[in-house]
Amino acid sequence: MKSSFPKQFVANTLALFCGWLVLSGKYDNFHLVLGFTASCGVAWLNTGFPHSPFQQFPWGRMVLYCPWLFLRIVESSLHLTKLILNPSLPIKPRLITYRSQLKHRGAIVVLGNSVTLTPGTITVEINGNTFLVHAIDESAGNDFTTGRMERKLAWVFQEDTNL
Amino acid sequence: MIDFFLFLLITLSFLILVYLYRVIQGPTVFDRVLGLAGISTKAIILGVVMGTVYDRVEMFVDISTGYALLNLVGAFAIAKFLEQRGTP
Amino acid sequence: MVVLAIGLILVGIFFLVVAAIGTIRLPDVFSRSHAVSLTDSLGAICVLAGLALYQGFGINMLKILVVLVLLMLLNPVIAHATVRAAYRAGLKPQTEEDQ
Repeated sequence: MKSSFPKQFVANTLALFCGWLVLSGKYDNFHLVLGFTASCGVAWLNTGFPHSPFQQFPWGRMVLYCPWLFLRIVESSLHLTKLILNPSLPIKPRLITYRSQLKHRGAIVVLGNSVTLTPGTITVEINGNTFLVHAIDESAGNDFTTGRMERKLAWVFQEDTNL
Repeated sequence: MIDFFLFLLITLSFLILVYLYRVIQGPTVFDRVLGLAGISTKAIILGVVMGTVYDRVEMFVDISTGYALLNLVGAFAIAKFLEQRGTP
Repeated sequence: MVVLAIGLILVGIFFLVVAAIGTIRLPDVFSRSHAVSLTDSLGAICVLAGLALYQGFGINMLKILVVLVLLMLLNPVIAHATVRAAYRAGLKPQTEEDQ
């Protein structure tokens, strides 16, 4: 768990400096030095918290997860659009309690966020790793109850689940 | 091209009116909070479209970013307050 | 490029209008939150991506993409906070049996 302070510090500084470069838009020497100093200071203040979930966060595989999530969003958006534009409004809202087997705290956060981002399901409460999910329709909640999203995240975080 | 962006701006303003109906009419206070969140999303898009119209995207994008962050903090404050007060 | 941008913006406007209709039609807070935040987020993503394409490749496109990513990260968090507050304050969602 105890990863090296200097390595993290350099990574944080570079990330912050990239953010500065995108948002500032001025590339003369004075502004570059100013930005570098500021990002060094902020990174120095913010590095070294114990138990940070970002310490072993798999950024590479996370990038591969995003396109799949986006496809899911488009698919269920079309489903929700059909539901809303239907004159008889055939919704069947229900609450689902679901116990996830993921252990990494970052994985649980990403799972809750993905569930909320996918139209038709919304995370009402997370307690430990028990999810309370509000689904607008049977087929909207299917993705979650069959554990499809969870299997994908177990692959992202390289965890063993017997799903 | 300017006509198209004008059409976009008018549509967005009309959508804000629809959400405003929900904010004024809403049966519970949470409906009003949700309506406000929807209005802020529209306002963020409105900011970026204005920047495209006036050719000053770099300035208006900063305003939109600030608006998004303030919206987050405000929604958290209202949600926390209502959660602890208890009654809808 | 411009044609693609206009197409994306039109698709986004369609989703935004659907979200507004859903806000009016759906019965309770929990199902309304689906319409408000979710179809909304796809609509906002489409409109902002169209505007970014219209700008062409460069620093302006990157800045609009920053707003897009921010919106995608923050929208679900706001929806979750509101719905959780409603649930904890004692509001129960309407389910199939009530209808």
